[in-house]
Amino acid sequence: MKFRRILALALVGTMALSATAFAEGETTDITMWTYPVGDWGNAEVMDGLIAKFNEVHPEINVKVEYLDYTNGDDQVNTAIEGGQAPDIVFEGPERLVANWGAKGLMVDLADLWTDEAKEAIYDSVENACKSNDGVYYEYPLCMTAHTMAINRDVFEAADALQYLDEETRTWTTEGFLNAVKAVYESGQDPVGAVYCSGQGGDQGTRALVNNLYGGTFTNEDHTAYTLDSEENVKALQLLADTDGINFDASIAGGDEIQLFCNGTLAMAFCWNVAQEKNNAEIIDFDVLPMAFPSETGEPKLCGGIWGFGIFNNGDEAKIAAAKTFIDFMANDESIAADSVKASTYWPVKDLGNIYEGNDLMTEYATFIQYMGDYYQVVGGWAEARTAWWNMLQQIGTGADVATAVADFQTTANAAAGK
Amino acid sequence: MAGKAKKTTGYSMSRALVRRETIAGYAFMLPNLVFFVGFVIYPMIQCVITSFFDSTMNRADIFVGLGNYIELFQDGVFLRALWNTIIIVVVSVPVTCIFSLWVSSIIYDLKGPFCSLLRCVFYLPVVTGSVAVAVVWKWMYNNYYGIFNYVGKGLGLIDKNINWLGDERFALGCIILILLTTSVGQPIVLYVSALNNVDASLVEAAEVDGANRMQCFWRIKWPQIMPTTLYILVITTINSFQCFALIQLLTSGGPNHSTDTIMYYIYHTAFKLYRYGYGNAMGVVLAIIIAVLSAAQFKMAQSD
Repeated sequence: MKFRRILALALVGTMALSATAFAEGETTDITMWTYPVGDWGNAEVMDGLIAKFNEVHPEINVKVEYLDYTNGDDQVNTAIEGGQAPDIVFEGPERLVANWGAKGLMVDLADLWTDEAKEAIYDSVENACKSNDGVYYEYPLCMTAHTMAINRDVFEAADALQYLDEETRTWTTEGFLNAVKAVYESGQDPVGAVYCSGQGGDQGTRALVNNLYGGTFTNEDHTAYTLDSEENVKALQLLADTDGINFDASIAGGDEIQLFCNGTLAMAFCWNVAQEKNNAEIIDFDVLPMAFPSETGEPKLCGGIWGFGIFNNGDEAKIAAAKTFIDFMANDESIAADSVKASTYWPVKDLGNIYEGNDLMTEYATFIQYMGDYYQVVGGWAEARTAWWNMLQQIGTGADVATAVADFQTTANAAAGK
Repeated sequence: MAGKAKKTTGYSMSRALVRRETIAGYAFMLPNLVFFVGFVIYPMIQCVITSFFDSTMNRADIFVGLGNYIELFQDGVFLRALWNTIIIVVVSVPVTCIFSLWVSSIIYDLKGPFCSLLRCVFYLPVVTGSVAVAVVWKWMYNNYYGIFNYVGKGLGLIDKNINWLGDERFALGCIILILLTTSVGQPIVLYVSALNNVDASLVEAAEVDGANRMQCFWRIKWPQIMPTTLYILVITTINSFQCFALIQLLTSGGPNHSTDTIMYYIYHTAFKLYRYGYGNAMGVVLAIIIAVLSAAQFKMAQSD
């Protein structure tokens, strides 16, 4: 009798184990590597989002690894070379589309880009998420517009607020120059710094130069660099000649932010909402985020767009699971707003005011309307970024602006043509 | 006959013992050897091979023969980086050696905790992480609120702030100064130990014969610490040629390539621009330069 009981228990145990094994067999494991885009780099927040995903899709197990911008590219590239690329990577079009997509490493996400999605997502964002030949390598989640910022207290004391529009957060090139002059003459030296020790935060200096006289960084097709236009050369010359604006080869974007926050500089060209949040404790003045100055007062801001790409690892089940995850995170009503909020930026489609009651986010939402062309998908981007800060260093040490720009053009366009 | 048999047995036992010990020796070496071959020899060979290819990410390598090497010597940035590296070596190697010998000769015969304290002080930058060192120096050199500008202006040495790391005229000098502070610790410890090992009876005998301190040093101590000097020269030369972290953390090679070194340019080319073949060609050239210089240093020391 006892033996039979043991046998029955053993049989039941075996069946239970088999059932578990069967269920486990149906689970698909995928990996996602995410750059630190707001709380998409925060394990606690991500665990919460993935738990919500697993309530609906328990059959997909998502393992997240967190990258930083210092070593992230090296880690991803090493993984690619070793055949160990993640299934999903969370970043922007300059990497997903212009780099890994262009090299044929990414999956075409056309089936996620349904007609409904195309209609909902802003056109400028959609254009940034596909290659020049129309293949979608990114499915976007969030976006922001990179701005500049001024120390409102210093500007007010110098009577320089009259040169800008506080309501629309815009100013003309003439207004900008008058404001810089007023602040400089009030004793603030330097007023701002064209930082150029490295590529960190270079979107700010690019936006400044392009906006001043309406120049562009690339052509419309994003196939060639157009820095040698008359407008850009004029803007660079203007910055080089303006008292109170230093070309500083000892600082990069992050340093400039610190110098602005501690009151050393009266304006920052590398700014967005994240900077104001992250530095709230050390800022003891009123920060006024501003669009970059332009001749017409109609700025075209550099944007940041972040979303998902899938590496083609040749496993259809994993690719399908990755697409399910992306679709859920970006489109499911139960979580889409939370996914965007986790990034601390704004949605790439109309999700209503997801930051209702949050004055800071509402203030910065003003700038989304000024988003310009997302040109960072141009070829030879890595070389062009290096050439950019090298060019600024040359100008800062007194080199002829036209010659320095010509050097940049040669290097960048040679890289774009490869 | 019996003696012969005994002798033969003894010989064969000895051979077996030798064989067993040899096998044991190789077995102990094997793990290290595997790692050495896998992580040093193989990458070195791969580096040399790749230097003959146009090699980048996710694309089949294209054989270019000596193309990368020819391009190297037409590349203005590489030549500038080579020149900067030579300046760093030429300045920092003799200064490090002379300064550490001077400090060591002062402190080696100090007794008790004072000698240990000084050794600790000079060795501290060596064991401090290069990132921490760079952050502190970056603050001291800061254009806006750095201590050098503050003191300089306070003493009336400068009228307005100097952008130490952002000005071509000063940036490389600033890097060399940091390099010196982080390089002297190990030579000082080595020299102190070498000076302590100098035969005291010879020094006493020379002093009895009327030799002054300088004569004692050059005639008695210097020849005895020569092997240490040679070692310090070689490691300081190699470290100076491989100056990378400070450049990466402080200037990224700027302003205007004035602080580019070969090591930094290799890193930038290979891991930022993904031109592995070109980067490897630079690595091969750097290795050849270091090997030739080290050989020359050994040769000179032997002839002395």
